[in-house]
Amino acid sequence: MARVVIFGSLRAFTDGEGEMEIDAQTTRELLRKLATRHPALAETIDAGVSLAIDGEVFKEAWFTPIGPESEVVVMPLMVGG
Amino acid sequence: MKQDFKILGTRPARPDGLDKVTGKAMFGADKSVTGMLHARILRSPHAHAEIVSIDTSKAEALAGVKAVITGDDFADVESRWTRYTMQNCMAQGRALYDGHAVAAVAAISKTVAAKALKLIEVEYSVLPHVTDVDEAMAPGAPVLHEGVKARKLGDDVSGNTVGYYSFGHGNPETGFAEADEVIERTFKTAAVHQGYIEPHSCLADLGGDGRGELWCSTQGHYMVREVCSEILGIDASQLRVTASEIGGGFGGKTTVFIEPVALKLSQKAGKPVKLVMSREEVFRASGPTMSSSIDVKIGMSKAGKIKGAHAKLRYQGGAFPYQMVMMGAMSAFAAYDLEHVQAEGWDVMTNRPKMISYRAPGAPMAVYAVESVMDELCQKLGLDPIDTRLLNAAREGTKSSYGPTFKAIGLVEALEAAKAHPHYSAPLAPNTGRGVSCGFWFNFGGQVSVSMAINADGTVSLIEGNPDIGGSRASISMMAAEALGIEYDRIRTIVGDTASVGFSDVTDGSRVTFAVGIATINAAKAAIKEMCKRAAKIWEIDAEAVEWVDGAAQPTGHNAGDFPPMSLAEIAAISGKTGGPIAGHHEGAPDKAGVSFGVHMVDVEVDPETGFTSIKRYTAFQDVGKAIHPAYVEGQIQGGAVQGIGWALNEEYIYGEDGLLQNPGFLDYRIPVASDLPMIEPVIIEVPNPGHPYGVRGCGETAIVPPLAAVANGVAQAMGVRMFELPMSPPKILKAL
Amino acid sequence: MRYVVAKDSRDAVALLNTGENARLLAGGTDVLVQMKLGNKTPSLLIDIKSINGFSDIFAENGGFRIGAAVNGAEMGAHAALKAMWPGVVEAVELIGSTQVQGRATMVGNLCNGSPAADAVPAMLAAGAMARVEGPSGTRDMLVAELLKGPGQTKLGKAELISSIYLPARPEHSGDAYLRFIPRTEMDIAVASAGVNLVLDASGTVADATVALGAVAPTAVVVPDAAAALLGSKLGAQALEACAAACAAACSPIDDRRGTVEFRTKIAGVMATRAANIAYTRAGGQL
Repeated sequence: MARVVIFGSLRAFTDGEGEMEIDAQTTRELLRKLATRHPALAETIDAGVSLAIDGEVFKEAWFTPIGPESEVVVMPLMVGG
Repeated sequence: MKQDFKILGTRPARPDGLDKVTGKAMFGADKSVTGMLHARILRSPHAHAEIVSIDTSKAEALAGVKAVITGDDFADVESRWTRYTMQNCMAQGRALYDGHAVAAVAAISKTVAAKALKLIEVEYSVLPHVTDVDEAMAPGAPVLHEGVKARKLGDDVSGNTVGYYSFGHGNPETGFAEADEVIERTFKTAAVHQGYIEPHSCLADLGGDGRGELWCSTQGHYMVREVCSEILGIDASQLRVTASEIGGGFGGKTTVFIEPVALKLSQKAGKPVKLVMSREEVFRASGPTMSSSIDVKIGMSKAGKIKGAHAKLRYQGGAFPYQMVMMGAMSAFAAYDLEHVQAEGWDVMTNRPKMISYRAPGAPMAVYAVESVMDELCQKLGLDPIDTRLLNAAREGTKSSYGPTFKAIGLVEALEAAKAHPHYSAPLAPNTGRGVSCGFWFNFGGQVSVSMAINADGTVSLIEGNPDIGGSRASISMMAAEALGIEYDRIRTIVGDTASVGFSDVTDGSRVTFAVGIATINAAKAAIKEMCKRAAKIWEIDAEAVEWVDGAAQPTGHNAGDFPPMSLAEIAAISGKTGGPIAGHHEGAPDKAGVSFGVHMVDVEVDPETGFTSIKRYTAFQDVGKAIHPAYVEGQIQGGAVQGIGWALNEEYIYGEDGLLQNPGFLDYRIPVASDLPMIEPVIIEVPNPGHPYGVRGCGETAIVPPLAAVANGVAQAMGVRMFELPMSPPKILKAL
Repeated sequence: MRYVVAKDSRDAVALLNTGENARLLAGGTDVLVQMKLGNKTPSLLIDIKSINGFSDIFAENGGFRIGAAVNGAEMGAHAALKAMWPGVVEAVELIGSTQVQGRATMVGNLCNGSPAADAVPAMLAAGAMARVEGPSGTRDMLVAELLKGPGQTKLGKAELISSIYLPARPEHSGDAYLRFIPRTEMDIAVASAGVNLVLDASGTVADATVALGAVAPTAVVVPDAAAALLGSKLGAQALEACAAACAAACSPIDDRRGTVEFRTKIAGVMATRAANIAYTRAGGQL
């Protein structure tokens, strides 16, 4: 089970739940399960999010593998400069 | 990771150099075709007004006028973000800022087009306006667009507040309680412009058959294609966009301002249309970066350990919803290893031009505020500014203030290099102060396509899809040469149009050398695999028994066969007989870009009688992972420092009470001139990025982040008084003295 | 629009007198920019560069006469002129960039009527005379008498300035010009000062003129600031009084380039610093 951390302002959409365990092999699976668990997050996930998996930041990469001991940080989608 | 390089780290002549110094390079405004029309745009003289009516009949009746358009000529689009872009290019219903486009004309000459503009009659009903971020965020402010307020925000902020973000961990209040010294300050920074020398320019030709050609100055021609084809309602495949040589972008050319207008005029007139912005139009109606209002509170122990940190960032991004304060909130405390930290940010709309990226968008002002308070704490506690930063510095394994845990990073290395540099121990003259600041940028990866052809004469033609704004044609050729094992000058890299190579994201986020580099190395691998296969066929051995060493195929060992190596040129020369052309290509979306930290140090002298600040000495240290072409890297670091100095000292968008921009030109919008600056000394630090085969990190953006606070901290030391507002122009400094 | 090359100054005056919307072209660094911006749309452009003598610097009665089409670079390259009136020459050399210096003229700077024109305070301090030619003949008048307001001069209908005369000067004299801008070049004065000093053998100021730019609708001569320097060797007290007199003479505007408060303060700083330079140039020991 990967440890999922919901970061900062996104917690407004998880009823304040900041950390949870989700069983997922890929980022796509993880985001689907997250949206089911917290429907308020679905809009944000659809609009795009960035994920930090064990410290590496990924942008919109559905099939990135997630290890059973991984830490996944869900952040707003990073755009820029 | 590869460490021993033959090509990387050398400084070959830049491929665009001769064309640029001889004037041969084709920029946006340099292209003309027979029969083309010239377009001009009519712009709002009001900060905020309802467009009651537009009468274009007199303009249309003028001889030589071939098309006139207004917002009514543009049909609605599905994506709200594209709609904002479209309505920024041409107002629909309301003019939202001084300079907002309300109509456009295409005519047989510039003179006729200018005359026609004067014949367009617009009836405005002036509405209340707001240009200041704090006023725009306050309840009761005139709201730019209804129904776009960020979710879950209360009545304490106005409907202009379109974004709210919060990052951090722990509880800052706990940290403040543990601290020996707590300082809280409020800062303001002005909106600034990227100041690229080349105005936005394009040549559009959209025929009645729905097929179009567009030539324009942009940081991303695929972005232009997608946005324009959606606005014009045509298929992406039918619109071919070619990126011209670009005279600077710095983030300012990552969207469209004029291209949909030129295409629509061309469609209506049935002729090619050239549209070139004047400098005044660039200032009034392209995309400057945000102005800000920021609170920062930091608590520190006597020994210099940061115990708690909290930032509140309020950014103003112009007349449409946008999302950029987030980057500021994520960057604010990125340099430090903190137990209790929170950074919050609010995106706010105002009656100003729609902001767009400017080099590390959102980060410089946030870091300015944080590093100013850091400096004040060091002063108050009698601590060395570099030692204190070292004590708190983020390093490998630090959980960053914005979430992820850092991999190998080079902040400590940069700080140590700064501390050991002779600049840091040089004596200071009277009225002179020395400022230091850290800076940070994320760097991006993203979508990329590269196509590489091995030519029969042993040379290589490489096509990438990202406009070259910082030397990427050189760095991509160098990485290809390194990967293939051939000489640099055997390769020519070009930026292909949207029909010649696959999709590529915009040139932004310091991503190109990193992402296109990875695609290039992978494309080279594919070509090498094919060349080894050809050699194997010729030698009649297994392909697995052939390896690529120093630019040639060779048997893996004596057991594999006893053949002299076949060079790339030798294999290429007979490729027609061994199976046809040899090429490699790669399409992907690499992540793991690797963040970049920098440390800047500056000596400033303040004239106590006039408030004039001069930069006496400037040294910039930056971790770039691996410098492919060090001269370009140094140029990036110097350029970022210079733009940051301008931001700190003189650059600002000045709006009057009437909401009109007072300084739309380089005379009164003061970017630094050469004589304002000493030579900026760049110091390259190389802590390889584990996410790139050659260790590359993006390097283009980090360097604009530290200068604001470095200069401000230097000024504070020189004057004995600290400034909390940028720019620190002479009248402000003299008043403070 | 018609473009005509005037043969002589009478021809230029006649063209100016046709009643057309005419503008003179010497260096063109103001008029061409105004035309490009659409602020000026003349129907007749009269080029005066080819008029005999307009591009020359003559020695005359111990001083120098500078033609209306002489550019800044030419003034800067004239060693004798520069030695006699370094303040005037340095003021002209501050206008624009190196490229602009190859075109811009001192007379054009005066006729453009900007309160912030760099050459004007220096000319006022120097007591420069303008030679005015018009339908009713030729007359010489002090540059100071030509100043009117932003974008204006007191030149009459169809009149032009054909040259500027910088007079001969006694021993132990020197002038200087300084301006304040927020950067180091390519800018317009926020406040400026021209100072002209004559010393006696002991180094005491025997005669002085102080003029300020960008702090009033026109450049202004400030007699009280000059009086403060008279009889002094530029001690702290004299300079302080000079600065105070400058501040009292200021009636600037608040705009994007500077505040009233800032301009008023800076005018005195520029004047006292220029005075120090002029004093040293006059052979005085500070």
